[in-house]
Amino acid sequence: MERVFVTGTGVVSALGIGVESSIAKLRNGESGIGSAKHFTSKYTNTLPFGEVDLSNDQLIDLTRCADETGVSRTTLLAYLAVGQAIDSSKLTIDELKSIRTGIISSTTVGGMCHTDELYTDANLKGEPSEYVRSYGLGEHTTRLIKKFEIGGFSSTINTACSSSANAVMLGARLIKSGRLDRVIVGGSDALAKFAVNGFNALMILSENPCKPFDKNRDGLTLGEGAGYLVLEAESVCQNKEKLAEVVGYGNANDAFHPSTTSEEAFGPCYAMQRALDSCKMNPTQIDYINAHGTGTVNNDETELFAFHKIFGEIPAFNSTKSYTGHTLAASGAIESIFSIAMMNNGELYTNLRCSEPLDTFGTPQILDYKAGVEINHIMTNSFGFGGNCTSVIYSKI
Amino acid sequence: MYITDLRSISPQKTYTNEFLKGELVHHDGIIFNVTEPDYMELIPRGLLRRMGKAVRMGVGTGLPLIQNNKNIDGILMGTANGGLENCIDFLNQIVEYDEGMLTPTNFVQSTPNAIAGQLALMDQNRGYNTTYTNGGHAFENTLLDALLLFEEGNAKKLLIGGIEEISNYNYNIDFLADHYKEVAVGNFDLIDSLTKGSVCGEGSNMFIVESEASQYYAKIEDVEQLTFPKEEDIELCVKSILERNNIQHNEIDTLMLGMNGDIDHNVWYEHVSEQLFPDTNVLTFKHLVGEYRTCTSFAVWLSAHILNGERSFMSSIEKRKIENKPIQHILIYNHFDEVNHSFILLKK
Repeated sequence: MERVFVTGTGVVSALGIGVESSIAKLRNGESGIGSAKHFTSKYTNTLPFGEVDLSNDQLIDLTRCADETGVSRTTLLAYLAVGQAIDSSKLTIDELKSIRTGIISSTTVGGMCHTDELYTDANLKGEPSEYVRSYGLGEHTTRLIKKFEIGGFSSTINTACSSSANAVMLGARLIKSGRLDRVIVGGSDALAKFAVNGFNALMILSENPCKPFDKNRDGLTLGEGAGYLVLEAESVCQNKEKLAEVVGYGNANDAFHPSTTSEEAFGPCYAMQRALDSCKMNPTQIDYINAHGTGTVNNDETELFAFHKIFGEIPAFNSTKSYTGHTLAASGAIESIFSIAMMNNGELYTNLRCSEPLDTFGTPQILDYKAGVEINHIMTNSFGFGGNCTSVIYSKI
Repeated sequence: MYITDLRSISPQKTYTNEFLKGELVHHDGIIFNVTEPDYMELIPRGLLRRMGKAVRMGVGTGLPLIQNNKNIDGILMGTANGGLENCIDFLNQIVEYDEGMLTPTNFVQSTPNAIAGQLALMDQNRGYNTTYTNGGHAFENTLLDALLLFEEGNAKKLLIGGIEEISNYNYNIDFLADHYKEVAVGNFDLIDSLTKGSVCGEGSNMFIVESEASQYYAKIEDVEQLTFPKEEDIELCVKSILERNNIQHNEIDTLMLGMNGDIDHNVWYEHVSEQLFPDTNVLTFKHLVGEYRTCTSFAVWLSAHILNGERSFMSSIEKRKIENKPIQHILIYNHFDEVNHSFILLKK
């Protein structure tokens, strides 16, 4: 069976554009969370956000798509990150056009980030807006196919906050099955009034930048961004630089409640255990976990309990959402990219704003930056509404 | 993989047996609404009140399947839009109350994965669970994922389905985007109407699929999908799906085509039926249930019943009938808005 390698990555988030500049900020403990400048909502006065510091016009310039109409911010962020991923993997036009090259993307808001236009169009309150064909969740994927001339299979996933982790998982499975040679996987979500008001109604947004795994955490911070990885079959990337190997993955449903995790953490435990089982790995082999770590009371407590159940002695972990905010569908891919860079750099980046760490099972949270650490196998967790939980394991080359 | 059980809520009387006995529902407008069953026996009243139409239809079709088929290894749903009515209701509140304090029910119900999530919750099913939202390929994605899970040996029995609801809002949006006809035709004149646009349909069609089965409705051999194909890509795609499954071209006796009365869309279907398969039976289905992004799930439901020997409704779906061609293999070909094209191959 084919082995699956990561040969390129692209990312845009509150930490900026590109892997290297993002990693520099992670290394320095510089958070990207702050006041939103471009997003318009009543809540920008009272809540912090993990905003990408680029206007739509700047994004249009950067992605050279001024000739297209109705390109949503979700799509623009995806254009930017997919473009980087393709460049970083040095994929050729012919490779992209091949029927054996696919794309699996994900989003939770899609074009619905243009709330006011959607309101006008859905209620027939005026002339159709330029976004009238852009609201659907699959729309950004279709545009990515057109822009980058991707020749093969495509999919769009929405399992809420675990969406892009499932994109990685499906991509790896399609390569292992022999159906694809390479596949671009990831997700994109722009800040949207829809999500802000939804999470606010659930009373899980913090008025301060989120404090994952701190005793005084009081909610999450919403962010935006896009992350994409190029996955390739071993047989087609023998002479290329490889960033990591995708070795394991597990998907489960918590089957407890639409928007909270069970106390027993059934879903998170099954997802992590299945990921370990899928690559026949012992829990002791995992050197680092990138936690889902939203900063809500419920998530961090149940996730920590799940770590205890699966690992006993919990490996070093952090939540990079303390830098980017929660980027929803994009989070699994963005956090995979950060984790792979950490592994290759042999560094552990600080879990920010964790001054009083949750210490039920010791304090394996990464509280200080460390360099020169040997990291061979890493796990990333993504848990979403609807009980959707997914864990992915990457190994060092 | 084998279809061993199935359920449908559609604009025809498919939830009960009337459709299979040949009773047809006529639709004269542009909007073909489903005939919803009485959910009261199935769903507790308090829960039902909070459910949007997509979730309600999804639970209405999925729950009986779960109850009658124990030990399901996972739930895979395809829906392009999910509970869009809840979604825009929530959006309207955001705009009209100027982002005031809102109740979260609409928000939670509107996420497309709410259907697979709700079914998992009701079944206490902690297995594999996913939701595809890939426009006109959302249901096709569930088929491929199910085939993969069986191949990997990670599942023996799965619940899969395709769901789409009509709300005023998605009708308005798709109307503005020129998806619908300006003048309605009766549904039995739809296929040959050949003007611009189609009609708006909805439904929830779900299946228990198993890797091994001795008794079954039909076997799903394979699925193929193409986005923005050129005409020659269609032929290559047909060739590859047949080769991969060791089926000769002349063994395809029946096409099930997604013809929807749209003159621009029809060109693709005519190419397949006239050029690639001129000697096959041709069946159509969108005059029964309308056009929507996951309507191939209804085409699979219909094909499975045909391959299982049901015939009472045949005269209403036959577009071309070839004598002495018993139906053994059905190749479903569909495209949504000329963008997402797919083939699904079923066998008796």
